[in-house]
Amino acid sequence: MSARRVREWPLAAGLSVPLFFVLAPFVWLLLSSLKSEMEIAVAAPFSMPDRLLFENYLDAWNIGGFGELVVNSLVNVALVVGLTLAVCAPAGYAFAKMQVPGGEAIFYVVLLGLTVPIQAIVIPLYKVLSALGLLNTLAGISLAQVGNGIPFGIFMMRSFFRGIPDELIEAAKIDGAGHATILLRILLPVAKPAILALVVISALSTWNDFFLPLVVLISPESQTLPLGLVRFASTYSTEHRLVFSGTVVSFLPVVVLYMLTQRRFTEGLTQGALKG
Amino acid sequence: MRTTTGTKADAVSSILFIGPALLIYGLFTLFPALDTLRLSATDATGLNSQANFVGLANFGALAADATVGRVLLQTAQWLVLHVVLAGGAGLAFAVAIASLARTHVFFRTAFFLPHVVSLAVVGVIWAKIYDPYFGLLNGALDAFGLGMLKLGWLSDPALVIFSVNVASSWQGFGIYMLLFVAGLQNIDNSLYEAAEIDGAGVWQRFRHVTIPGLREVMTFVVSLALINGLKGFATIWVMTQGGPFYRSELLTTYIVKLAFQFQEQGRAAALCVVLCALAMAITVAFNRWRESLR
Repeated sequence: MSARRVREWPLAAGLSVPLFFVLAPFVWLLLSSLKSEMEIAVAAPFSMPDRLLFENYLDAWNIGGFGELVVNSLVNVALVVGLTLAVCAPAGYAFAKMQVPGGEAIFYVVLLGLTVPIQAIVIPLYKVLSALGLLNTLAGISLAQVGNGIPFGIFMMRSFFRGIPDELIEAAKIDGAGHATILLRILLPVAKPAILALVVISALSTWNDFFLPLVVLISPESQTLPLGLVRFASTYSTEHRLVFSGTVVSFLPVVVLYMLTQRRFTEGLTQGALKG
Repeated sequence: MRTTTGTKADAVSSILFIGPALLIYGLFTLFPALDTLRLSATDATGLNSQANFVGLANFGALAADATVGRVLLQTAQWLVLHVVLAGGAGLAFAVAIASLARTHVFFRTAFFLPHVVSLAVVGVIWAKIYDPYFGLLNGALDAFGLGMLKLGWLSDPALVIFSVNVASSWQGFGIYMLLFVAGLQNIDNSLYEAAEIDGAGVWQRFRHVTIPGLREVMTFVVSLALINGLKGFATIWVMTQGGPFYRSELLTTYIVKLAFQFQEQGRAAALCVVLCALAMAITVAFNRWRESLR
């Protein structure tokens, strides 16, 4: 790299300063979430709590109904990831390796969706969900999120399958395998990089989505974590200890999951972003 | 499209393969996109009202609306800020950590942490950071004896766009950093060696090897940052709702207000068309530019 000449430890020490500023909000939230209301008001921002008030978390969890929010978010992510894979893998395979009547034109119409911001189509989308009786349901929001993610998913799977030699597929056909068998038994097992990228990107964007839930999920029982936290934070805006601990509950699981899987996570995100 | 494995039976089963995806895409993306175009030419107001065709009148009304002018200008400011702050931080940290060996993964992982947090949660966090009384920022300024720098970060109309953008860019820079890191790994090491032999210093190597080597990634990051900026919504919605006095209103937040609060669906749809056109223009322009670099 550019810097075989730059020495590791001085640079690492220098980088710790910006890193402190980047991570300061997390540290401040963690510390403050364990303080009393009084301490939050008067003590220095990064002081250690007098006593670790874990009951702040218990209170926030119960008052904010975070259990329900987490379950809703998990169901939402599972539906979106599962359905996205289930429809994009076969479609990507078909566009890459099968003769689709009008395939090229259809593919470009799908690609068009890559450039359409979700906010630009929200008015009719709301009406469609309403007409199908899917407003205020996790099924409805998941379908809308899948629909919005399909252009990327198909593009991703198609690029991957195009890289697989035709001879492999011809050989399987001679052995009497149909397209479904080829896809399930031969291609999916080798498509791990593409699937990883698709899973990471669709899971993260669904877990973090705020715009669609805001418009579609009106009643608290059906809301997902980010929306629920925002509602909670505005309802209890003066009880800082609750808002702080609720906020930590909202980001900590993903942060921990990311740290545990950071290599695959990074690979998936980078590959996905570069292909998309 | 490759047709090497094509037969007639293929054509039939291919429809089964793409059918489900097309159905969901058609119902929840393509149809709404086309219907937005139709709505933009009507005077639709409520969610279930009878709408009449009005041609381009909605676009005329938007052009005459001073708030829309402000919203477009602020959206442009927002995009520039995001490219500079998030893109700039991404580049700077990528270049710095790329020259690390043993601590590379640690710094890459740590700097990326904000990006896994939902923008809505980021909004809640930074609203607290900017809180005039309990906030981290003013509290820290006090602690360092810099109390005179305390500002109403979210209440000052001249400052609010910048303040919220810092929050969004804090969350956003991680992905740009990863893309730059990937780009840096593709630069041929022998170029650096050659530059060193020619007596180039750190800055000269950066200027004449790193920057040209990153050109393609850079166009990609800038276009991604512009698109992400254009879609920016959650932080503004959570932190300011577009206020004070529309001074942090963006295209996206104004669309939601027009459509769901003011029930001005026709005009909102026209603004949606503008948003979509901007996103497409950015994508097409940057794809052309990137191809011209190859």
